[in-house]
Amino acid sequence: MPKLHVRVQRQRPDTQARYDHFDVEVPDDANVIDVIEACWRQDQNLMYRHACHHASCGTCAVRVDGKEVLPCIVPLAACKPGDMTIEPLRNFPVVGDLVVDVSAFFQRQAAAGMVITRDAEETIDGHPFEPSELLQPDGKLERRHYNRFENCVECGICLSACPTLSATDGFFGPAGLAAVHRAWEKTTDETERAALLDLADREGGVWQCHGAFECSEACPQDFDPAGAIMDLRRALIRRKVGALFGR
Amino acid sequence: MSLHSTNRARPRKPLQWIDVRNRRTGMWAFALNRVTGLGLVVYLFLHFVMLSQLFVGRAAWDSFVALARSPLVLAFDVVLFAGLIIHGLNGFRVALNGFGLGVRQQKAIFYGLMAVGAVLLAASTVLIFTI
Amino acid sequence: MPAPHVVIVGAGSTGSACAHDLALRGLRVTVVERGEFSNATTGRNHCLLHSGGRYAVTDQESAIECIDENLILRKIMPDALELNDGLFVALTEEDLAFKIKFIAGCAACHIPYRELTPAQALAREPLLNPKLLAAVQVPDGVFEPWRFSMAFLASARSNGAVCRSYTEVVELVRHNGSVTGVKVLDRVTGKTETIGCDLVVNAAGPWAGEVAGFGGIEVPVQPTAGIMVTVGRRMNNMVVNRLDKPSDGDIVVPQRTTSIIGTTSWTVTDPDAIDIPPQHIQKMLEKGIELLPEIATVTTRGVGAAARPLIKRARQDERDVSRTFECFDHARDGGVEGFVSISGGKTTTARGMAEKLGDLVTRKLGLSVECRTRNTPLLSYRLFYQ
Repeated sequence: MPKLHVRVQRQRPDTQARYDHFDVEVPDDANVIDVIEACWRQDQNLMYRHACHHASCGTCAVRVDGKEVLPCIVPLAACKPGDMTIEPLRNFPVVGDLVVDVSAFFQRQAAAGMVITRDAEETIDGHPFEPSELLQPDGKLERRHYNRFENCVECGICLSACPTLSATDGFFGPAGLAAVHRAWEKTTDETERAALLDLADREGGVWQCHGAFECSEACPQDFDPAGAIMDLRRALIRRKVGALFGR
Repeated sequence: MSLHSTNRARPRKPLQWIDVRNRRTGMWAFALNRVTGLGLVVYLFLHFVMLSQLFVGRAAWDSFVALARSPLVLAFDVVLFAGLIIHGLNGFRVALNGFGLGVRQQKAIFYGLMAVGAVLLAASTVLIFTI
Repeated sequence: MPAPHVVIVGAGSTGSACAHDLALRGLRVTVVERGEFSNATTGRNHCLLHSGGRYAVTDQESAIECIDENLILRKIMPDALELNDGLFVALTEEDLAFKIKFIAGCAACHIPYRELTPAQALAREPLLNPKLLAAVQVPDGVFEPWRFSMAFLASARSNGAVCRSYTEVVELVRHNGSVTGVKVLDRVTGKTETIGCDLVVNAAGPWAGEVAGFGGIEVPVQPTAGIMVTVGRRMNNMVVNRLDKPSDGDIVVPQRTTSIIGTTSWTVTDPDAIDIPPQHIQKMLEKGIELLPEIATVTTRGVGAAARPLIKRARQDERDVSRTFECFDHARDGGVEGFVSISGGKTTTARGMAEKLGDLVTRKLGLSVECRTRNTPLLSYRLFYQ
């Protein structure tokens, strides 16, 4: 059982941030979420978010030693031994301790309108898919592709890592723009595609990104929001140049 | 009122622009561009102040030219040139990425351009101190 | 006269679904949850949208509840489920013998099923153990537990419910033998306050006993922990089950980019202090490898355990405790008015549980409003934050 000295940022909306110190013992194969829970067992006033413990709900994102992570999938073995600093995400208002207010973020996600499932285009071992015969609850068979939840878990890590967002409220943010990109990629309806490009073209859209690429580096799901933003830019430039020549 | 629906004001911390702790290549490039950009703006202002010496008269201008040839100011010129090269070359990469080009290769492009920049800077340093 | 006010303690899938049910019936609802919404039992469940196949032999009451609710959720939660069916896979002769009972069970519980040959099964699931002897396909599905609860809460909120996280019940307020409210501690402000109401619903899952205990009331809940081991890669398209009666490590649920192996079952005394026995993780991986051998080649991504709120009945091993649910009217069971508990059940059946509870609550409050959750599409979880 490794012993760990943990500094946790404590804060309430009306107080200054300070650090509390916890000495905890966790199993060798523990993940960082277990460390947070061990601190909570010592002080139940410690506020933190968590639910699934396997990086699907996206609630538990925090900064560990300055880096944004989902603590539920970061093993202790991957952290420096002995001590650890845990802080809430940046660029969000703090509700309490490690809990941040995600409402503005989800309002933007709703505006971006990413559907939360996608068709699985290839099998789990990488071969392209034939639609499968799936059972319906009425007992009939239906031929269609398997579906699965999107890669993005809406954890907010990319927003915390984004330096542009540290100075402006207007920016739609990496996750939101990546959601616009997914919706744009997915639909074949030209009117809808044009409307999504308009959304990306607005003030606070793709042009406000300054290309630090931290969102894609920090993303725990390899979702590449920066790549999505640049893709949208390319599509927009093509459209604008096309318009210049009356196309 | 629900806890999560209060839409509290978000803290703004522009200093995070240049906070590269725990960050990776892209952020270093981003921060370098902010720092050099600000530096070049300051320089531009100084440049105008210096040029305005021309209005004061020949003596003022000559004393400025003498000052400009001192080794300290020449060293400052090297720093200035470094800023110019970094900002210009990195800006080229940002523009390229902005057009959706070389996005997945952005790190390699950055290192490549910085290597070119280092050669340019070495050459210009020699020139600055020998001419 | 304003509508009666109901306080719901606990916002897991049960509490969230109850909030939606009661708000839709026009009641004033306040939900209090001591941490993040659905952070415990619901959050760390297996994410399996049951077809009922898992209980078709051993617990047909639960199996029927499951298939009925599965059908309803497909209608009211469009786009929020992975609907790829499930396979029950026979690996041994004993499994093969169980298949006959399994098929009879599915037929008895009106669960649609289809028998597949090993070749057909392998065509659908290339990473399945190639030594399989037979497979049966049933309409299982996968949900995302946090978003599942948030969809119910979003809908409840749009109908006027107040949803408060990080608000912990510390006392039940009693007046003349009735419960008339709850005293809560708000973890943000650090202040305690009393929320008065006409009725309290105790949906605290494995903590239901503790909450009821604040009023000297007993709820026979047996917190039973289970472990989930998530691997670093998605190994299957469909849910893969062992064709046998439920046992440890007999199911691999795919979700998003991962697969989740589960589960074990052990009784715990304090649901706040679940220490995962390391041998359980090892066992999950070993059992998972039997079904999908390639699990041996991938890393473990996350491990979680939470307690199920099973209902205690005399002389039963925890695996045999029914997975169905129960509403307790404490006026009947213990002479306390204004307090009902709901426990047991599964996330899949949360809506159905809420319907039963809503019927009980409205009857107790002297109202006659029909449940409408069966045909009312839920809002997107994102709209909770609107």
